[in-house]
Amino acid sequence: MPGQLYKSAAIVGAAEANEIGFLAEPKTSLQLHIEAIKNLSNQTGVPISKIEGVFSTGWSSELCEHLGIKPKYIDTTAVGGCSFEMHVHHAMAAIHSGIIDIALVTHGENGFSARKIGGRGTGNYGRGAGVASPAAEMSMAYGLGSAPSNYAHAMVRHMHRYGTTTEDYAHIAKVTRDWATLNPRAAMYSKEKHPFGGPISVAQVEESRLIAWPLTILHCCMVADHGGAVLIASPKVAAGLNTKPVWLAGAGESMGHANMLEMEDFTATSASRSAEAAYTMAGMGPGEMELAMIYDSFTITAAITAEMLGLAAPGEGHTLWKDGHAAPGGRLPINTNGGGLSFNHSGMYGMPLLIEAYRQLSGTAEDGVHGDVGKQTSAKTCIVNGTGGALSTTGTLVLVADD
Amino acid sequence: MTYNKPIPTRGTHTVPFWEGAKEGKLMLPRCQDCNRVHWYPRFICPHCHSTNLEWVEASGEGKIHTYAVQHLVFGPWEPEAPYVTAYIDLNEGDRMLTVLRGVDPQKPEDIKIGARVKVEFEQANEDTYIPFWRVIEE
Repeated sequence: MPGQLYKSAAIVGAAEANEIGFLAEPKTSLQLHIEAIKNLSNQTGVPISKIEGVFSTGWSSELCEHLGIKPKYIDTTAVGGCSFEMHVHHAMAAIHSGIIDIALVTHGENGFSARKIGGRGTGNYGRGAGVASPAAEMSMAYGLGSAPSNYAHAMVRHMHRYGTTTEDYAHIAKVTRDWATLNPRAAMYSKEKHPFGGPISVAQVEESRLIAWPLTILHCCMVADHGGAVLIASPKVAAGLNTKPVWLAGAGESMGHANMLEMEDFTATSASRSAEAAYTMAGMGPGEMELAMIYDSFTITAAITAEMLGLAAPGEGHTLWKDGHAAPGGRLPINTNGGGLSFNHSGMYGMPLLIEAYRQLSGTAEDGVHGDVGKQTSAKTCIVNGTGGALSTTGTLVLVADD
Repeated sequence: MTYNKPIPTRGTHTVPFWEGAKEGKLMLPRCQDCNRVHWYPRFICPHCHSTNLEWVEASGEGKIHTYAVQHLVFGPWEPEAPYVTAYIDLNEGDRMLTVLRGVDPQKPEDIKIGARVKVEFEQANEDTYIPFWRVIEE
């Protein structure tokens, strides 16, 4: 009996860059990609704007931004020369499952031109090493580097548009720290654990050291060490295990841009689209979410994302924290582990979000200390949203507890 | 004085931009099919996916879209901190990043989103002039 993916998709066109071989005039990997994609579009009659999934080795978001498209399936599997066969496999699965209908698998690698201008296969576009893209070429002169140096621009625009203040966002840092004080595993659990740990006030957040105005250091996540993993299993396998399953009810992904230079609206992220897909798959809405795990690289990230997920109206994301709803005992607990702000953030925080969501919905998040009940909530549903890059890419999951 | 900040490493398709900069001109890529300007420079129009692109001289004027003040900085820009970075809405459309001139980084609240700015070029080496934007005194 054929497998589930049998005849679930077909290759409908194949094209190459305008010139291939030993090019007299060197070209960048990016240009070779774009030429091939344009030719494929011409050959098949499928407009580039209709592409729904993009698969490439290592830099799909950069490619999509260059093309001006915002796909709902993004894959950058880069494991060597066989990656493209894997891309096709992944695309089949994505199509079979109904997430997308049209997938682009693309390749550009200036193996010969690289001798003259640098570059190669998994990215790299310019002359010499380290030039990621034309966006980098046009940004690298201007003294930006770290995440806060970028994210601060979004906070200023959000304040301008909605009249929000740094104090509004400071509540997010304060409340998230309150959660951390219930979690002995949190880096900022207590003064004993870390000199800067333990409860903080809104005023302390406001008055702490400036990193990139208006972001003070307490508006920023930490950079610590973290490792984690989750196991996903079929319902059949799950039924035979002693651990409680937490069901994946919905999933979605999207992107706005790769570089902040291309962020259309500094007060919004693609989480609105990834969440819509996840809610639709789950047949649920934001009103049914009883817990939220939101990537809080910065307070502004959490505020904007809460708005994108439909948990608060545009411009009012911060009120979830300011009015106490997100706090211990509130109607919609958010970042119950203490968040990237006060629990742990190693650079990429997507895994801690998943771990805490699992612990909460499986009833294993008690972490009770000081004779308190701890951080375990009674939530049966949870929305999880990860944000990557410079408010660039988003992935959203809707999780539901076992009955 | 020698320019000691990062100097952009160039691609293959941005020559007209850097040549224009040498002459004090802000050159922008424009699509000949949909007539829209885009920034940063592409191999393909991100709006209509045409590859009929051309370079046009821009007005060199725009407005502040948003900004921030960089306090914690590592590398060549560190001695300049604090300084103001900003995204500029170009009069022709789309947006550029800059280190903003003509503003006081100690008074970020006084900087106005929507304030008019004009481009100027600083020589970084024999071959490279880098655009920066300055707030126009009203």
